[in-house]
Amino acid sequence: MTTVLVLTGIGFACAAIIYCVNIVLPHKVQGLEKTEEIANTLPGMNCGACGYPGCFAYAQALAKSPDLISQSPCAVVLQDAERLERLEKALGVSIDASEMSKRALIHCNGNSEIVCDYSGIKTCKAAVQLLKGYRKCPYACLGLGDCLEVCPQSAISIDEEKKVAVVDVEKCTGCGLCVAECPQKLIELVPEGTKIAFLCSYKPLRDIPGREKCDFGCTHCRKCYKACEDEAVVWKKEEAIPEFDIEKCTLCHKCIDECPNNTLASFTRVKAAV
Amino acid sequence: MTNLITIFLSMALINNFILVRFLGLCPFFGVSKKLSNALSMGVAVTLVMFIATVATWIINRYILMPFEVEYMDIVIYILVIASLVQIVEMAIKRTNLTLYNALGIYLPLITTNCAVLGITLINATEAYSLLESIACSLGGGIGFTLVLIMMSGIREKLELADSPRSMKGLPVALLTAMLLGLTFLGFGGMI
Repeated sequence: MTTVLVLTGIGFACAAIIYCVNIVLPHKVQGLEKTEEIANTLPGMNCGACGYPGCFAYAQALAKSPDLISQSPCAVVLQDAERLERLEKALGVSIDASEMSKRALIHCNGNSEIVCDYSGIKTCKAAVQLLKGYRKCPYACLGLGDCLEVCPQSAISIDEEKKVAVVDVEKCTGCGLCVAECPQKLIELVPEGTKIAFLCSYKPLRDIPGREKCDFGCTHCRKCYKACEDEAVVWKKEEAIPEFDIEKCTLCHKCIDECPNNTLASFTRVKAAV
Repeated sequence: MTNLITIFLSMALINNFILVRFLGLCPFFGVSKKLSNALSMGVAVTLVMFIATVATWIINRYILMPFEVEYMDIVIYILVIASLVQIVEMAIKRTNLTLYNALGIYLPLITTNCAVLGITLINATEAYSLLESIACSLGGGIGFTLVLIMMSGIREKLELADSPRSMKGLPVALLTAMLLGLTFLGFGGMI
């Protein structure tokens, strides 16, 4: 009984002391008003995606140079209209959220053939150390979920059927933490309004490219380019992959229907899959 | 007085926190890449150790001992240290911004550092008086800072050295730690 009393007593005492100190200490610090105002608009979850150690450090940097917002914006604030408005007010600059808001896209269709048994440490980083992973395609998603560990929004999940990581575009804030995490460099930040997702990273042109590595990858056949009636598909010659013009695309999905290996998908497909 | 100096030297060199007691190993490798970071971390740890020692000594003597609940010390110490660090952080943030920026992320980080909890538990088991506890904590903190600074100095130079590819980074740091540990063993017969 005394134990319980002592422990609760100390707990309450600590809480009371912290509360008192909080009241006694000056709230407005010289030269810190602006930082505090900015910090209040930030989410405060210290995810570190902006490149600063914590939200407060980010706020300090912003207070010094408001232009920083265009280079390393806080992805969470960009999603939240109300926070964004408050941050604009605090910084005194206007922010075009639609320009900066991004989504993560994993450029892999999954199901690349497994060529050897891997029984090592269950992380992509460890698996890649051995012969670039255990799948036939050296650019394949291994599906061990390094990206899903770092996602502060829990927006990434593993599609068990295809053994590939998929991003829930509804939950994703485009913070970019996963981009650095992927040892295969499959994840790219694409504009929020992206309509067509290109699900392959195999770029080298050799023999019949792609086909010998994976049955679900881009074969560089250019069918999507020919199918498009709105000239929204641009063929990038050097890399031999299609690029999709957001402005011109009318979402007719003809390119998706034409693609022989189903390497293209509607960008919002991810939501349906989960 | 000799007693205090003995305790101080023993904690700083002979029973060094990192190299002999193996406490606080995460900052030892995590924060020892740059000399400036190592210094901030060392100062923060020493500061928190000192404050935690004073607070836990008072609690141990005037609350835990009279009520005979010493076996609860770990839980209570963690609680007290966490709230103390919170208070210190708040105070520094609102009074001295330069210091707050210098300590940066390290201050909240060491709330649950085992070296900080370790020093309070050592003080409790050795039944030190208040002065002895303070000497012990300062010695521990300074020893910790010393090793951190030495390690970061070596690692800064090692970055430029031509070590084999498989040894770059952590492996060579671990070997360095071993050699440092061996040199600190030499202090063993000092007192």
